[in-house]
Amino acid sequence: MEWIQGVFTSSPTIESFAIYLLITVPFLLMVLGFVTYAILAERKVMGYIQLRYGPNRTGGRFGLLQTVADVFKLLIKEDTRPKLADKGLFILAPVIAFVPSFMVLVVLPYTETLTFANLGIGLLYFIAISGISTIGIVTAGWASNNKYALMGGMRAVAQMISYEIPLLMSLVGLVLFAGTLNLTEIIEQQQYVPYILLQPIGFIIFFICALAELNRIPFDLPEAESEIIAGYHVEYSGFRFAFFMLAEYVYMFAMAGLITVLFLGGWQPIIGLGFIPGFVWFALKFSLVVFVFMWIRATLPRLRSDQLMEFAWKVLLPISLANIFLSAILKELFF
Amino acid sequence: MIRTEEMLLNVGPQHPSTHGVFRLILKIDGEIIKEATPVIGYLHRGTEKIAEDLQYTQIIPYTDRMDYLSAMTNNYVLCHAVETMIELEVPERAEYLRVLAMELGRIASHLVWYGTYLLDIGATSPFLYAFRDREHIINLLNELSGGRLTFNYMRIGGVKWDAPEGWIEKVKNFVPYMREQIEGYHELVTGNEIFKERAKGIGTYTKEDAIAHSLSGANLRCTGVNYDIRKVEPYSIYDRFDFQVVTREEGDAWARYECRMQEMEESLKIVEQAVEQFPESGPVLGKVPRIIRPPKGEAYVRIESPRGEIGCYIASDGKKEPYRLKFRRPSFYNLQILPKLLKGENMANLVAILGGVDIVLGEVDG
Amino acid sequence: MIGLAKGLKHTLKNMGKEKMSYSYPDEAIPLPDRFRGIQKFYPEKCIVCNQCANICPTDCITLTGKKNPDPERKGRIIETFDINFEICILCDFCTEVCPTNAIVMTNNFELAEYSRDELYKDLQWLDENDTNIRKEN
Repeated sequence: MEWIQGVFTSSPTIESFAIYLLITVPFLLMVLGFVTYAILAERKVMGYIQLRYGPNRTGGRFGLLQTVADVFKLLIKEDTRPKLADKGLFILAPVIAFVPSFMVLVVLPYTETLTFANLGIGLLYFIAISGISTIGIVTAGWASNNKYALMGGMRAVAQMISYEIPLLMSLVGLVLFAGTLNLTEIIEQQQYVPYILLQPIGFIIFFICALAELNRIPFDLPEAESEIIAGYHVEYSGFRFAFFMLAEYVYMFAMAGLITVLFLGGWQPIIGLGFIPGFVWFALKFSLVVFVFMWIRATLPRLRSDQLMEFAWKVLLPISLANIFLSAILKELFF
Repeated sequence: MIRTEEMLLNVGPQHPSTHGVFRLILKIDGEIIKEATPVIGYLHRGTEKIAEDLQYTQIIPYTDRMDYLSAMTNNYVLCHAVETMIELEVPERAEYLRVLAMELGRIASHLVWYGTYLLDIGATSPFLYAFRDREHIINLLNELSGGRLTFNYMRIGGVKWDAPEGWIEKVKNFVPYMREQIEGYHELVTGNEIFKERAKGIGTYTKEDAIAHSLSGANLRCTGVNYDIRKVEPYSIYDRFDFQVVTREEGDAWARYECRMQEMEESLKIVEQAVEQFPESGPVLGKVPRIIRPPKGEAYVRIESPRGEIGCYIASDGKKEPYRLKFRRPSFYNLQILPKLLKGENMANLVAILGGVDIVLGEVDG
Repeated sequence: MIGLAKGLKHTLKNMGKEKMSYSYPDEAIPLPDRFRGIQKFYPEKCIVCNQCANICPTDCITLTGKKNPDPERKGRIIETFDINFEICILCDFCTEVCPTNAIVMTNNFELAEYSRDELYKDLQWLDENDTNIRKEN
């Protein structure tokens, strides 16, 4: 593992580029594999909660090839575009939504050594880049030239503006405790006590905002199928639609990873169980977060947009601000 | 200065939340609805006109297809109307079977409403839980009548089949099971703060509005009007059962939700009592003439369907076909208040209001 | 928040519960005896009384009869008997009025065809549809 670290920090040459490619391409494939199976897992978990079996035909009893078949279907589908759509933006929108979702993955530390970019401002980078995707969504909503899509796009913007602020504010307390924005260092400080115990309020707010950020129930307003049909991607089909889907699930991967890193202590084992390798710990905590996402999706109804904004500005923001003061006081007194 | 304009939005007939082929033309300003115009008729089959060429018995399967979620009440209203015209006595056992079937159908219908309403609001699981329990009811009714949705069970003067062996026992066991499940629904949904936020104070109308728009069923009772035809004008054998008419005062979507949830429990009470009083034996079909020719004249009967007051008007000229047949279809009347309710509401409230009114398009369009 | 937590508990509890799915095309759905499926027709029992065609609310039955070729016996026998399953609503009236039980219901219900013409079922097809016949009539 040491040499990987060496490669990441060495000066750019053809060889290091090749090695870099050799490491990152499998990683990207791994993420795609995760997305494939996250969709399957979501359908399975929701199926089991709802007294169904979920996919169980394509690819054996557990439907292991269901998503593969679905994605393949999307790939070979005719690429339709509404006649009056804004052509350039219509093509650009899925790209804008999709690229940042992979860009944020670069800062997540999976184990002590397996980090692709150990940025000093990792946390800030993550939050900043992930905000770009919303531009893709609103672009898609505008470019489709569809009233439902436009409403979806507008809702996405309104939602993002309301939620990014408490999302960031909820992390300030944690950053105060950690004294750093570097994700690896944040994990190292959680060796004994994960931040979920020190920052419970921050965790709850961050989790709620993460759900909103991911456009998942109860905050899936931009694509509320019972109100505005499919929202911003109503006119998309084939591979462009797959891009939106993919971006959504890659974000789920990234956000679950971030929660694991920030609040659950990343690769740090529970004390006494250190013989289990760090990557397994990361995977376990990560799966737990993903499961909770799915569980919430299967349970809760959807909020209305004005309620959502009211909730964000009048409830979450004051609490997260209070949390900052509380954290500062605690930090001053005990650390 | 930003120039804004109103936008015309066409909701339906293929919109997931219009519960069928219902179309709404909305004039919206951002997400606020300025004007709503419902467009109906996509499912019009001309039941009433077809019926003029049919013998009375032949009309029964057509009534199955009006309010297809509670076909038993529709069967009943036609049979009841004809029985009133020819003054036919219905055997007691048949009456009990009818009441059992109708009340089970009412629960099934409310379960569909509950599931789809929550689905509109965005929660997916309650829908499947409701359909699990509805499946039990449908299996019971299937055993009784031989149909899962279009029962075609009642006949003029009685019912088609006697209860199969062990059926009454199954219904008896179903009652406590269903009570337990309703507890579960309350646990999952009634206490849910998000759902409360979405439903409370939404689509409110007053008692006067409700009466002026001739609403009926839970849509009327949610405003505090104590009006249930099973109590006001008891038909069949409803005067033998002890049950409450559920009312609420608020007149909003939440009140309608509570009304319907409690109505299910009241229906269970009726089912329980009917099972207890169920006669040991007896005929299930009265002495019906081979060809039914009601005397010249007219009759109007009304009963309480899960959606409200369903009425049947028959004008006979002494032939074996009706001269004119008219159904008062509650969904159609309940829908009339929709444009008024939607005015000034948020787009997201549209589904909460439309779902709360509980329409069945087969009934609206006739 | 309590309500949300209660709901979450409820869904989690349901995860382990018995599944309601029917594995339908693989296994036949168990149907009660009374289920109204596609009719089975006994040509030998039919006396060509036309009652089924008359009672049919959708007029989907057409039948013709001919004189009994056996000069010993009176009456008519069935020659053609067609049900148009495009409009048949399986209402059960034809079996109800039949004086000889020449037409009965079965529990079969699968009628999907590639062409509308194939939905016209003739005497032979209805005669061969002889599985899962309803016992109680």
